[in-house]
Amino acid sequence: MEQIIANGLYLGAQYALIALGLTLIFSLMNVLNFAHGQMYVFGGFVTYTVVVQLGLPFIVGLFASAIVLAVMGAAIEKFLFAPVVRRSKRDESTMLLAAGVAFFLDAVILLFFGEKQRGVPKIVNGVFNWDMRIIMPYDRILIGVLAILLIVAFIAFMNYSKTGRAMRALAQDKMAAQLMGVNVARYSMIGFALGAMLAGLVGGLLVTITGVNLGMGGPTSIKAFLMIMIGGAGVISGAIAGGFILGMMESVGLTVLSAYGDITYLVIFASLMVFLAVRPQGLMGKPWG
Amino acid sequence: MDTKKLLGFAVFLLAVFVLVPLFIGATGRVDFFYTLTSVALLSVGAAGVWLTFYIGRINIGQGAYALVGGYVSAILVTQAGVSFWLTLPLAGLFCAAISVVIGLPILRLRGVYFAMVTLVLTEVARLSALALPVTNGAKGITSIPLPGELSFFGLTIIPAFGSLSNPRIGFYMMAVVLMVVTYLVLWRIVNSRLGHLCRSLQQNEELSASIGVNTAYLRVLAYAISSFFGGIAGAMFASIAQSIYPSSFVVADSVNFMLYCFLGGLGYVFGPMLGTLLLYFGWDLLSIAKQYQLLVYSGVMILLMLVLPNGVLSLLDKKEGRA
Amino acid sequence: MSTILQIKNITKRYGGLTAVNDVSFDVNKGEILSVIGPNGAGKSTLFKLISSFVPATSGEVLFNGERISSLAPHKVARMGVVRTFQETTIFRSMTVRENIIVSHHLRSRASLFGFFLGTKQAKDDEAAFAASADDIVDFLGLQAIRNELASNLPQGHLRALGMAIGLATDPKVILLDEPFAGMNHDETMKMVGLVRRLRDERGVTVLLVEHDMPAVMKISDRIVCINFGQKLAEGTPQEIRENEKVIEAYLGSEDAAIGM
Repeated sequence: MEQIIANGLYLGAQYALIALGLTLIFSLMNVLNFAHGQMYVFGGFVTYTVVVQLGLPFIVGLFASAIVLAVMGAAIEKFLFAPVVRRSKRDESTMLLAAGVAFFLDAVILLFFGEKQRGVPKIVNGVFNWDMRIIMPYDRILIGVLAILLIVAFIAFMNYSKTGRAMRALAQDKMAAQLMGVNVARYSMIGFALGAMLAGLVGGLLVTITGVNLGMGGPTSIKAFLMIMIGGAGVISGAIAGGFILGMMESVGLTVLSAYGDITYLVIFASLMVFLAVRPQGLMGKPWG
Repeated sequence: MDTKKLLGFAVFLLAVFVLVPLFIGATGRVDFFYTLTSVALLSVGAAGVWLTFYIGRINIGQGAYALVGGYVSAILVTQAGVSFWLTLPLAGLFCAAISVVIGLPILRLRGVYFAMVTLVLTEVARLSALALPVTNGAKGITSIPLPGELSFFGLTIIPAFGSLSNPRIGFYMMAVVLMVVTYLVLWRIVNSRLGHLCRSLQQNEELSASIGVNTAYLRVLAYAISSFFGGIAGAMFASIAQSIYPSSFVVADSVNFMLYCFLGGLGYVFGPMLGTLLLYFGWDLLSIAKQYQLLVYSGVMILLMLVLPNGVLSLLDKKEGRA
Repeated sequence: MSTILQIKNITKRYGGLTAVNDVSFDVNKGEILSVIGPNGAGKSTLFKLISSFVPATSGEVLFNGERISSLAPHKVARMGVVRTFQETTIFRSMTVRENIIVSHHLRSRASLFGFFLGTKQAKDDEAAFAASADDIVDFLGLQAIRNELASNLPQGHLRALGMAIGLATDPKVILLDEPFAGMNHDETMKMVGLVRRLRDERGVTVLLVEHDMPAVMKISDRIVCINFGQKLAEGTPQEIRENEKVIEAYLGSEDAAIGM
């Protein structure tokens, strides 16, 4: 039991970070970033390159992932999304663009890093063992704690910094924010960069444990969509809740349902459908329409 | 239909049924038959996605129905010995039926929420195919016999594919017929009151309800038609490939169906057909770019989106001034 | 005069907030009845309750003695109680005429499948809708803009288009949501005339929600005033004008002018 909860928390912290980035981009621009999973994979590969190929410390790799992805996110917003959002008749056109970006990033990853699974050597050794009730390698604990710290830092940033507050105003009501003098173009770009950076950071964190490969992008995006649907799209608390809930469900499911074969995700998806039929806006989303 | 449209339609029929086979015969690129058959079938599925767009829903779940349709046909043919030609409508109807059950709750969702749920639906279909006993798990269903003869009262309408000297042409013809019929139906829907009501739904659901439209019913109806198209496309695919696996239609396929519609243009009935042709054929032609194939393909896609954010057919708008 | 619409003890709560509290009144056939009240008094919610767009917490609405609350909105419309919206609610990417034609849906006798096949009945329906749409265009004086895209129309025309959409459904009772909002004096007077003709020439009972007091006083046969979700007073314009509670409610709010 304790083991299941510990696993769920560890998974949930990673998931919440991914979902935060996605929900931030969604709330600011009403863009569903299909490329989020690819950004995560890209971040993992950057850390891998810095740590394994250049032989630099892990923390440098993590920073490199954050910076590379932030720059990439800002560029993608400024040169791709902003013009399309401005000129398109319907919001949905951004979906095509997002899908195009996802394919493009897949192609870039393929060219730069190849198809192979890549990993980074363990950053700390040893296994935490509490009376055989919770067994968890120290590196997982470290990564989990780092992820939670990042979540806390993100919340603090959104609540107490000027930039964060401007972005929250923008997410709440674009018109009003504009009238109050918030530079929409600028903060949309910052928000996109921040969202991409979070994806990259999770990639950098997880490359030490699960490694990354080209095929992980799409499934990761789907999981991220799931989380923000559970919590409510565009809501920060919802993304965090969604992340931890999915982490827990996965952890419980893998233990309880393992006897019936590989049906954990089938059960999770099916229950999500039922949940959304009852509560379409998710746990904390605002009802629309 | 006025004369101009009738003429255009005749030219189109001539092109797909006569000119294309002649062209392929002349160049010897027989592989194009397979590519174009895929294009025709994918555009049948895309027609369904386009119809859900027409009621204002972003449907990224067509892969699920294509997969289900493929399995329904494959199971009926291999395990119950039903004629393929009978399984084709049955697969469509089965998909339409489950889409009603699924659609009733999820069609209440809008915008990104609906899009995400339908995306998840594709995963549900794949995982179900893996988990259910009747679908034979990851091994899938293989060695599906080719379609047999279709005859009414002893009159052969379609000969058995096994007896054809070139089943590729047979499949091509069959797929194109399916495509033509699908788009005629779609065209008729859009230009009848049914389509006008769908448009009213797309533009303003509340107002639509207040003028007396049963919006819930109309949504489910459109979604069921859409899923029917997905189902028959999938059934044909399984029959051509003579096999079906849980991974025959995955999330990427669902996304592609949506992209075909977007790229062709959501305001035009023939948009999804054009979009499918451009993207699928384009992808095929790009195989000469070797390892840069995906890079070039996605690059072009992004570029197109930047230049023509409202779809390729929006080029027509500038000439005529109106959609 | 017979009663066409009865609102009986209707209440709506959102969580802890009571938007409409135990409101009752009757609407007589062929009258123009206005619901007034300060901002946030619950007028819009009341409208949504009557047209069944939101379910009531308790109470009911009867149309010709039949219960219509808790029916689906399209069924309420089918019975003849039709709501128009504020100006933004039109089918934006259709022309004025298309807007009106599509809104004839309730009058169609052919089934959707019949329309798909293009049966004789469907063709007759379409022809009848087109003729009726032209009729409505003439009635509202929209001839000049009939082929304009709705999204290109100025506000005054949008309001008229909203009314045209409502008329196309052939309503017995029409609910008008702030028909005079944002109009200058001339436009308001024109609209007042139009609403009157709606009743006089088409026999439609009119229920409207409005802020513009002079217009309300001029147009209404009777007025219901609500405040904080409760009915404050009901009566002829004269009675409302002299009602102490009403004056108090309005003096206590920003829009103090009651238009006397």
